[in-house]
Amino acid sequence: MTYDEYLDGKPTVITAALTGGVHGKEAHPELPETPAEIAAAAAACEDAGASVLHLHARRENGERAFSIERFQAVADAVRDATESAVLQHSTGGTAAPDALRHEPLRTDPAPEMASLDMGPLNRYERLTSENTRGLVASLHAEMRERGIKPELEVFNDGHLNESLAILEELEDPPYLNFLFGGGTTSPPHPRNLINRIEGLPEGVEFNVIGFGPHQLPMTTQSLLLGGHVRVGLEDNRYYNRGELATNEQLVARAARLSEELGRPVATPDQTREILGLRGR
Amino acid sequence: MPETCPHLEYREESEGLSFDVARAFCTVTESFVQPMRADVCTARYDLDPETECEFYVDPEANE
Repeated sequence: MTYDEYLDGKPTVITAALTGGVHGKEAHPELPETPAEIAAAAAACEDAGASVLHLHARRENGERAFSIERFQAVADAVRDATESAVLQHSTGGTAAPDALRHEPLRTDPAPEMASLDMGPLNRYERLTSENTRGLVASLHAEMRERGIKPELEVFNDGHLNESLAILEELEDPPYLNFLFGGGTTSPPHPRNLINRIEGLPEGVEFNVIGFGPHQLPMTTQSLLLGGHVRVGLEDNRYYNRGELATNEQLVARAARLSEELGRPVATPDQTREILGLRGR
Repeated sequence: MPETCPHLEYREESEGLSFDVARAFCTVTESFVQPMRADVCTARYDLDPETECEFYVDPEANE
């Protein structure tokens, strides 16, 4: 996407990252964790303008889960509660065995989309999500086999190199997600997003995540530069400083901003067309 | 094989927070543990609390 496409009013794909796996109810009492809670949040976000729902699964006590069964429970509940939104399963999983990382791809039906972490990411003081090239290749191979569209998670500039290296292996259009925040993600500054997209090959669609207080400014900038946006409690717990948000509020704000800036919010069907999804 | 952290408890209430299902609680930091950190506390996936948690305290060293 380009600035020209912004001027043309290209629809914005809004992704809602509803729960994640890093923090839980100990950080935000309303953060959805169970399949029923995630489904209710998904329905509210779809109504507010989200066309892609980024999903993680958890155990009953909120801890992370990667099994097919737990993802199936979440996906079934979300499908029952929503109209036609696109389901995107996370394949992230710091410290989890590589074999487990494949399991979110094996629900029935398979998700239309899945995240694909493009390289290492530090967590806390002593953990690293390694995301070796071997794991990336094996996850990507299974996504291709099952007709799942990968969203390439570009945590930093090095991961852009990794993404461009496999660009020809991707179905059109390649979909890259740029993450801005602390640690081993990209430094959150407007010029860094501009630099990032200036060199993108033609035909690439991009999405933007800003963690914490960077969610609002970085995603708004993406709207102006022709990109798409991801918002939600996985990435940011606050609506304003000190004021906890809901997923629905964050999606509704992104939708309002997009419309005000001249870009209609993409429906699920428009999202399938923009991202080249096969549907389910 | 690493063992579950000796400082891990599962609590339904503390710090003014309460939960329907007991959650991982660290008795060193006196706080509920983030779900991702709980994988270290529980030594899940062969994670070792002694080497992979920055808050770990050797219980024997304090005896």
